[in-house]
Parts: sequence; structure tokens; C-alpha cells
Amino acid sequence: MKYGDKLIRMEGVIVAVKDGAIDVDLMGRLGFISVPKRMVISEGELKVGQTVAWNMSFLEQKSTEINDKYFNNLTVREARRLEILRQYNEEE
Amino acid sequence: MSITAETAKQHANDPAVLCCRCEAGTELTPANFEDPNIFPDLVDSGLLNLDGALKLGQVLNGTKLTKTVDSLTPITPDIVDKFDEVGAGEEEAAEEAAPAAAAVAAAPAAGGVINLHIGEGKNIDIQIPAGLGGGAAVAGAAPVVAGGAAAAELEDKVVRELTRKHYVIEKVARGPETKFDGKTLYIREGIEKEAVDSEELVLDLKIDVVTPDNYHTYSEAVMDVQPIAAKDGDFDLGYGVTKVLDGVVTVVTGTTEEGVQIGEFGSSEGYIDENMQWGRPGAVDKGETLIKYQVTIVNGKNMERPGPMAAHRAVDYVTAEIRKAMKKQLDADKADSEEVLKQVRRPGKKKVVIVKEIMGQGAMHDNYLFPTEPVGTLGARPNVDLGNVPVAASPLEVLDGCIHALTCIGPASKEMSRHYWREPLVLEVLHDEELDLCGVIFVGSPQANTEKFYVSRRVGQMVEMLDVDGAFVTTEGFGNNHVDFVTHIENIGKRGVPVVGHSFCAMQGALVVGNKYCDAMVDSNKSKSGIENEVLECNCLDKEDAIRGIAMLKAKMAGEEVKPAERKWNPNVKENNLEACEKALGIKIERAANEQSLPMSQKRKEKYD
Repeated sequence: MKYGDKLIRMEGVIVAVKDGAIDVDLMGRLGFISVPKRMVISEGELKVGQTVAWNMSFLEQKSTEINDKYFNNLTVREARRLEILRQYNEEE
Repeated sequence: MSITAETAKQHANDPAVLCCRCEAGTELTPANFEDPNIFPDLVDSGLLNLDGALKLGQVLNGTKLTKTVDSLTPITPDIVDKFDEVGAGEEEAAEEAAPAAAAVAAAPAAGGVINLHIGEGKNIDIQIPAGLGGGAAVAGAAPVVAGGAAAAELEDKVVRELTRKHYVIEKVARGPETKFDGKTLYIREGIEKEAVDSEELVLDLKIDVVTPDNYHTYSEAVMDVQPIAAKDGDFDLGYGVTKVLDGVVTVVTGTTEEGVQIGEFGSSEGYIDENMQWGRPGAVDKGETLIKYQVTIVNGKNMERPGPMAAHRAVDYVTAEIRKAMKKQLDADKADSEEVLKQVRRPGKKKVVIVKEIMGQGAMHDNYLFPTEPVGTLGARPNVDLGNVPVAASPLEVLDGCIHALTCIGPASKEMSRHYWREPLVLEVLHDEELDLCGVIFVGSPQANTEKFYVSRRVGQMVEMLDVDGAFVTTEGFGNNHVDFVTHIENIGKRGVPVVGHSFCAMQGALVVGNKYCDAMVDSNKSKSGIENEVLECNCLDKEDAIRGIAMLKAKMAGEEVKPAERKWNPNVKENNLEACEKALGIKIERAANEQSLPMSQKRKEKYD
């Protein structure tokens, strides 16, 4: 990575707490992330409305090539979603 | 920032650098100096040049500055009135002590003899035949010296035995009932519906039989790999007889209705042959047949605790029927092979305990503990419900499937149920004739730090009560579990018990916390780039890590110093340690393969390493 060593402090608000994950809106409308609880260090219980902070940098494109493996997986997932949708429509 | 006298003593051989501006005539004290721990960063960024700097130990004996200098100035001979020669008295002592250090270090290589040099006793050299030879001799000889003849007379005691009866399965097929016919396992047709009906949140369950010629099959993200085993007769987990099927394993996969993976972030689904680190303790071995379950659960439940649990229980509905058939049909006297695991206590040898930290943050970060059947669900209690407090297990319970892992992220470093069935550290320590393994402690990793410290204090107290000579602490995966991982090490270390830590760290899992007891750590990374490479079980604890950990703990228990780690992850440290172990123990350690051994399309090859 060309710019990987520049750390930027980011902040966010917890908008959902699940058994295994939390969802966070990045402050300043900079995006949304959902992370496993295991990757969050917390003093006490995690609750909606609490703020969190972390260091990160910008995302960098690793390559201009499309990774076949991941692309195929997404295609399979989408096909299955449509298949399930079709089944439900038929049942109705 | 200035340092304390204690820190100055620790860093006596590190360069002396002033932390603040200092006037000429000032008598130097520890308070005038900067903490040497931060020097590497300063040197890297060009802010500090340590050429010609005197050592801290040389300038704390009434040395005065002859010149006024700024902060971050290294002390050189031209700006002080006097300084001690490089440990004038010390050097002689060092020279005298050298043979001792050299002898202890050389003993492993020599194999037969341990030389002890006692400085204060005026050059007494003692030679003790080590008997067993190898590096292990250093630790092994210690009790002999300490305990004298009495210790040598203590006999090993077999506490209990566990017999695994293996039955080879060559084919898995579907049929009208679940049964065994020769080397074929038939799974009842239509059992899927019953499994689905048994769990409210499960909408669908598919069973695929994946044979070795068919490994290039698409699979959802693997949630768990499980051995198929059943207790014989009335035996409880951890002793007696266990029947186990060879050549076939259970593989749990699952998604929600929308195709979102259960307990997964991002995708790690794909072709099995590209995503599986074959042969790892927790993974599938090449040549085995997979009974692959694909469970579909209600939307939105993939991250909620009942979701992954329902998926696991639905799969266990089918496995339970296979177990029933095993108990009924497989004749205990007609097993294809038999393996007897003995829990041996070795009084007089170094007593050690293994503390295994398992996930306990909630949802799929959980494990079913102590089911009635190996890796079952019935009768088990999730460690989250137990409050994640430490729980004692016998080594044989571990090897008999007392953990049913609700495996979560990340695939490369999370320990599958099968990992515990073949737990390499437990096996290696159990079979090590110089160690007395008293048991295994499982401790969950809760989410909040307050709870982490709570369970960690209990671990420390439990280890204190055990009166052990040494302890291993292992953890799976990485993330906030590293907070309690290092706290366990601290709580054990501060009680004066030598402790060695095992974890995946490398680049991506680098520890975010640490303390002075974390001086002997074994990184279980195998991936080339030191990252979570999405290859199932790739970075999990393997036999080579167990051998390194044991060598390290033995060295620590014998009072040897473990060299400090380098500042940045360097895979050569591991290779050097492995080579040192090979040389000392006179064995060849097979290096575990990593993702480089898996098939890759040309395009992937260009993108990765």
C-alpha cells in the first residue's frame, strides 16, 4: 500500500447492537461499518447511542483486476437470493 | 519522560539519553533519562543518533555533566566528567559466569551432560548424566538436582485411560435408514425435514456428501468441522471407550434465507479445495469424505445468538442418529484400529497446566461445553451462560470432544471442534515424559473489559491453587480476546509461575496490549504475509507450535532468559526457534504447510504472493 502508514482518528455512533456484532455510523456522514464484537474493545456493555473511536486510514485499491474468486461468490449469492425470492412468489 | 531507578536498572546496558535540557554541573540520576523503549522509533525517524553513546549503567555513579545540553542528547564521554568503564567489575563476573550460561545453553546440543557452574562456590563444576538427552534435559534434570534420590523414585501414575476404537468408512450414501453396512454409512433419507422441524429458526437443511475426487466443490463459509464419535456403553466423556468413524467428518455450513453467511463478516465461502488448510488439527485431512450440511436460517438471525446455535443443533440432530447407529451396530471388538490415550501424572516432574481461552463474546462467539456425547450438543452448557469463568477439564475430556465450537471469525485462526479432538499442545505435553500435566482450564473471553478482568483474576487464583511450576496460555483468533489473554498471563506470571503464551499475532493479529510477563510468546501464524488469509485453520496452533512452546516453557522453568522479540513481525524468528528445537532435541520437525500449498488459479497467483 502506498499510503498505509498514515493513521487518522475516526469516530462513530453505535446504531445497533446484536449478539455478535455492532453497527456504527461514522460521524460526518463518512459511511457505515458493521464489526464483530470481538474486534471492539469495551470497558462495559455496548449500547446504542454510545460513541466509539478508532484509528484507520483511507482504503486503497489493491489491484485494478477483478478477483475471480470473490466475484464468483457474489454472483452465486445473488443467484440464490433471486431463486429464494422466486420460490416465495410461487408459494404466494 | 524521565525513568525510575528500577527502569534504569533494567536498562543498564541500553544507551543513556537525556529526557530534558540539562545544565552543566548536574549530577545525573535516573530522572534525567529518557525511556530506552522509545529509542527504536526515534532512531528510525532520524531524530536520534546513538553512535558513541555511553550506557545507562555507566553514568549513574555520581557522573556530572560538563556541558549544558538539550533534551534527547545521548551521553557521550566528551560531555561528562567521568563514567564507569564497561562494567569493570561486571565484566570479570560475566566472564566467570559465562561457562554456566554456555554450559546450560550447550547442554541441549551435547545431549548427554549438563554442566553447572556455581560462581560463589569457587569454581565447582558438577556433571550430571542427563539420561534422556536433548534440550529437554535441562528442565528434566532440575527436579533430580532439587529433590535428590527421593524424586527419582516417584513413579508415573496412570489416572485414567481413554480408548478410541476406529472404524474406517469408505462410502457415505443415503438409504431408508441410518445404518452401517460393511464400510458404508447410510444416512436416512428424509431426515433433513425432521432436523428442520426440530429447530424453529431453521428453514432448510441440505446434506451433501463430498468425496475426495470432488473437493473442487462450492461451499458456504464453513462454520465447524467435527469428528463423528460416540461413547460406548455408559462411559462418560473423557474415559472408557469412544467409537469414532475414520475417513469421514461433519462439516457445518449455513446462511440466512438471503444468502448471508451465519456468523461471518465478509465472504469466506468458495471452493473447498482452495479454502481448506488440509491436515491441520481442526481441519479436514486430504482423502476424507465430508458430510457437508448447508443450513438455512431465518433472515436477520445470523448475528443473533439463537441463529448459529439452532444451525448447530439441527446438524447434531442428524449426527445424533449416526451416533445411535454406531452404538448399536459397531461391534466394540471389531474395530479397524485402536488407540489408547493415557492421562499420566508424573510426580517429581515439572507440573504444568494448560489454560485455553475460548470465545465468549456472544452469538457465534461461544462454545458448548461438556456435552454427553463427543462434540454433541445435548447436555452441554454454553460458556457464555456459565459467565465465562474458568472451568477445569481433564486432558482426556479435551481429546474426547468436550468442546463443541460455535466457530465464528476468522476462519484461519478460529479453533474448530475437531481442533480440540486433536489438540496438539495437550497431546504433546501429555506425552512429554519430563512434564506432569495436571489438567486443562477453559476460560471464556467476555466482551467487556470489566468482565475480562473478573474472569482473569479467577484464572490467576486457580493456577495459584494448583501449585504448578509452569503454565501455557493459548487463545484462538484475535481481537479483544487479546486483552484477557495478556491479563491471564499477567495474573499467572505475577504469582511467580513461568508462563508461555500461544496466539496468532503476526501482522494482522499483533497484540494491542502487553505486560512484563508476556516475554515468552509463540506466534501460531503460518500464512506467508502474516494475515487472516481466509483459509480454514491455516493459522491455528499446530504441532510445531506446541514443540516450540514446550521448549520455551522448559527453558523458562529452568531459569533461562528468553530473548526479547523484535519490534516488527519477522517470520525468521519462528524458523530459527524451530531449528534450535530440532538441534537440541535431535528431531526433525515437519513444517506445517500454508496457503501456498493450495491450488490457485493463475489470476489469483498474480494478485497474491
